[in-house]
Amino acid sequence: MKRKEKVWEYLKTVLPDAPQGVTTSKVAMDLDLVRTNASKELNVLVKEGKLAKTATRPVKYFFADQAQPAIASASKEKKAKDQAPKIANKDQKDHQDDIFDHLIGRTSSLKNQIEQAKAAILYPPHGLNVLITGPTGSGKTYFANAMNQFACNQGVISNPHLTTFNCADYAHNPQLLMSHLFGYVKGAFTGANEDQEGLIQKADGGILFLDEVHRLPPEGQEMIFYLMDHGTYSRLGETDKAHHANLRLICATTEDPESSLLATFVRRIPIVVQMPSFNSRTMRERFGLLKQMLLIEANRIHKKIYFDEDVARSLIGSVTYGNVGQLKSNVQLVCAQGFLNNIQEKDAIYLHFEQLPPNIKDGLSRLANDREQFGDLAKMMDPQMVVAPDDSTALINDEDNYELPYNLYEIIGDKAALLSKEGLDQEAINNFIMTDINVHLKGFYSDKHLERDQDDLYEIVDQDVVDLTNRLKQILKDAGYQISTNFLYAMSLHISSFIKRVESGKPLRKVAPNMISMVQDYPQEFEYAKLVKDEIENHYHLPVPDSELYYLAVLLISLQAEKQNGKVGIVVAAHGNSTASSMVQVVDQLLNPDNLTAFDMSLDMSPQEALKGIEEKVRQVDSGNGVILLVDMGSLSTFDEKISEHTGIKVKSVDMVTTALVLETARKTSLIDSDLENVYREISEFSGYSRTTEREKTEVQHLPKQTDVMTDQKPKAILAICSTGQGTAVKIKKMLDSILVDHLIDDIVVIPISVVDMEQQIAKIQKDYRIVAVTGIARPHLSVPFVSLEKLLQGGGEQFITAIENFTNNIEAENQLETSEEMAKERIQHYLGRYFTFLNPEKVTEVLWEYCKVIEKGPVKLKNSLKVNLSMHLAGVIERILTQSELTVQQDIQIEEVRNDPVYPMVVKANQMLAESLNITLPEEEVYYVVKLIDTQKQ
Amino acid sequence: MLQVQLLRIDSRLLHGQVATNWARVLKIDRIIVASDGVAQDAIRRTLIKQASPPGLRTHIVPIQKVIRINQDARFDGEKVLLLVESPQDALRLILGGIEVSRINIGSLSFDNSKKMISDTVAVSQRDIQVFQLIHQHGIQLEIRKVSSDSPKDLWQILIDKHLITE
Repeated sequence: MKRKEKVWEYLKTVLPDAPQGVTTSKVAMDLDLVRTNASKELNVLVKEGKLAKTATRPVKYFFADQAQPAIASASKEKKAKDQAPKIANKDQKDHQDDIFDHLIGRTSSLKNQIEQAKAAILYPPHGLNVLITGPTGSGKTYFANAMNQFACNQGVISNPHLTTFNCADYAHNPQLLMSHLFGYVKGAFTGANEDQEGLIQKADGGILFLDEVHRLPPEGQEMIFYLMDHGTYSRLGETDKAHHANLRLICATTEDPESSLLATFVRRIPIVVQMPSFNSRTMRERFGLLKQMLLIEANRIHKKIYFDEDVARSLIGSVTYGNVGQLKSNVQLVCAQGFLNNIQEKDAIYLHFEQLPPNIKDGLSRLANDREQFGDLAKMMDPQMVVAPDDSTALINDEDNYELPYNLYEIIGDKAALLSKEGLDQEAINNFIMTDINVHLKGFYSDKHLERDQDDLYEIVDQDVVDLTNRLKQILKDAGYQISTNFLYAMSLHISSFIKRVESGKPLRKVAPNMISMVQDYPQEFEYAKLVKDEIENHYHLPVPDSELYYLAVLLISLQAEKQNGKVGIVVAAHGNSTASSMVQVVDQLLNPDNLTAFDMSLDMSPQEALKGIEEKVRQVDSGNGVILLVDMGSLSTFDEKISEHTGIKVKSVDMVTTALVLETARKTSLIDSDLENVYREISEFSGYSRTTEREKTEVQHLPKQTDVMTDQKPKAILAICSTGQGTAVKIKKMLDSILVDHLIDDIVVIPISVVDMEQQIAKIQKDYRIVAVTGIARPHLSVPFVSLEKLLQGGGEQFITAIENFTNNIEAENQLETSEEMAKERIQHYLGRYFTFLNPEKVTEVLWEYCKVIEKGPVKLKNSLKVNLSMHLAGVIERILTQSELTVQQDIQIEEVRNDPVYPMVVKANQMLAESLNITLPEEEVYYVVKLIDTQKQ
Repeated sequence: MLQVQLLRIDSRLLHGQVATNWARVLKIDRIIVASDGVAQDAIRRTLIKQASPPGLRTHIVPIQKVIRINQDARFDGEKVLLLVESPQDALRLILGGIEVSRINIGSLSFDNSKKMISDTVAVSQRDIQVFQLIHQHGIQLEIRKVSSDSPKDLWQILIDKHLITE
């Protein structure tokens, strides 16, 4: 029998004898259930309409059909409430209960706003349109919902449902945006197979809420205002405005209403409501908001939440940029932790300052900086405070962006129960689940606040631990362990808590027998765990107890969620000290593949040595599905059969490797169902991404490319893919947009799309755009760079854009310059001839090259690009000396400061050489500039 | 509009003097090298990037892109050092709407068709015509290698050398 049925059966026996109903505690006690679970089941029964409950405390439950008239409220209205309009029906006749009375700040920070809102709703005959402005997370959506409910309660609108539309979702596809808003008729555009009504129609008789309205294109604004003025509109593809809709408008934006984007808008919207930022609200309000957030959590877990002054201060102080929304997220994080730490407690959780995550602890000192506020707050607080659940549900229906998409507490509870059944001790359980919570919340947080989140792994764990974990990742990868995407977070959190345990003097944990037997089924992970243990020991110079091995093994096993079934491996082998590895490096940056490695074959290496080396690499990347060997030329291309013979691994080789070929191979092999033969066949036919093949490029690339006209003149686009195309993808877009601007790239747009119908959407987008890169949760079949969401969120955005720049800019030229001395010298000679009047390019080139060589005998190796630049600079110096037009020195330059520079002695030596060969002596000022120039490379 | 802190003409574009001197004394957010040729030349791009002062982003873009960016609100108020290699390119920028009150000339390389007018600046007949057009926009033309040098008025030199008549 399921728990719910058990509860129902039980109630059938006891309720007939209990006319007053039963309490949750009684049910829990009699059935030996945890209170939370009992409460959960009871509420499910209420929802189903079988039970009703009292509105007074303690809450009592009784059969719905026996409900006394006085308290007949709950069940049916609950049901109605779930559909949409939230305010409890019992209040409807009773106008004294004003929805705005529940808003914190109604008498101070929000007083004016509430009056504006009421006026706008009640203004005869049809109310006024409203624009709500305010920073991220300040509660614009919440306020809009409150207005909607107020309008409902006042009976001024007939459609109680608030229709919400976020204009940013389709900002880059105005047509799509318009079709969503206004609907379309069959044949209006490709894919419009039938008539479709828009949101405007859905909002008829009610309120339309346009969020991020500054992203509404001008034609959209026009149509909206036409509708406002005349009450009619047309769907896309219609010529006459034949449709009628009667609706009110609430808009919201984070933009300054004075900004040009909004200028026309503001002129036509009579009421602008400004939401205050969290930190500009009074301390009483901030504290009130904190208590309200805690109450929401208390109701969710049906437990009291105890907290002390410092916890309250930290939470209030932890709000930096995200206002009330951020407060909510932080409260959720802290309560989830508290819930776990107090999982044994029946009806309370305790929040302690010491247990708060560091970034929230910081809030305390941030707040303490302002003495006055700090003092204000102190007056309101008791040393120990408590928030008790009151079984109220939030009064205002907030389609809340800051709500976790799942019930975290249920997950924690269930998982803890499961692990404890497995026989793990409490500490181990906490440790595992904490890792989990952090990973979950991390994922959630990343969605929300992209830019700020790049470093926040560092906020949870020390940089040192992250570095160690990154090293572990490499070690394990080299050893053949498939790294999962959560590895970095999960492992670094694990290590960090282990270190804390060591510091607190209790490194030993007991290992449950069933944990040992579980690990025995995974001998490989156990071996990997040993590697991890060794590395931790080496790093911290402390012994790691053997028991910890099992914990590490379990972590590795659990991270190994989906065993990937053998991607085809790739080995790139080429002559030259770094030819192969530099190609691999480029592809690593772009695709971050886990099946790719390089083998550099220096020119003096014998074929036997090379064969051995390549065999080793082949073994490393093979995961059972064979290996593609990409080689440059000669003997290397005949290796595949030999390697297959020696290793028993299927190997196919393709010659004339280029970066583009490596990229394409990596992309092909990353698709799950690729097999060696298929990849081989497709790769052999591959001839580059652009019109000129890669091979032709290599031949001509040291000459300036005259015109590289793309056949495709469409604007460039990056796709951001998330499940809805409206959540994460939009955030990604925001992040990438700002990076693009920072890179001075004005001709690439980022288009957020949904993974649903991805292929069709892409086909559509390709009509107007050339897609140059993709990021997000899925990878479409496109031959362009891709970066995973995970990587992007962890600060990979910058890298991603750089990679796209490089990809379009052909960075092979750079690699070639760096590897070829001849090319560098040829450049110097070319530029000397072109830019200098008094020098003999041939002779001087040799001298200057020698100068660089002398410098290189010191601690700093010079890149070829620096050698060319240094030579150019020196040529300038020589010319200045010959023409006696020395540089003047700025007043504030300290020539002496370079004397302590490590390259200074080498520059002096090189200058002696110059004096001997050209009879030229550099003045001190020029030495200063030379040293500074060389220093640019160091940074 | 971009805030062009300095528009400099220098055949060698970005090199030691510019990197260590001008970038230091001017308060700029980034350096923009505007040249159609270099934007297409991967190796020169690499070299220029290498020579750019640490901590400062350097962009190498075609002339037309600078003009486009200058009109793009997203880049409003960016403080930039603009580098071009010829007076012709400088004129294209000015005609494209880039606003400056003076142009700095670092060096213009010599060839047989040109006349040296200072130790680093050589001009051809065409260059002079272009400078005349720039001058008509009321823009000062100063020859100055580094900020501590005293500026020389290119226009005056051209007059003194009877290369133009006013």
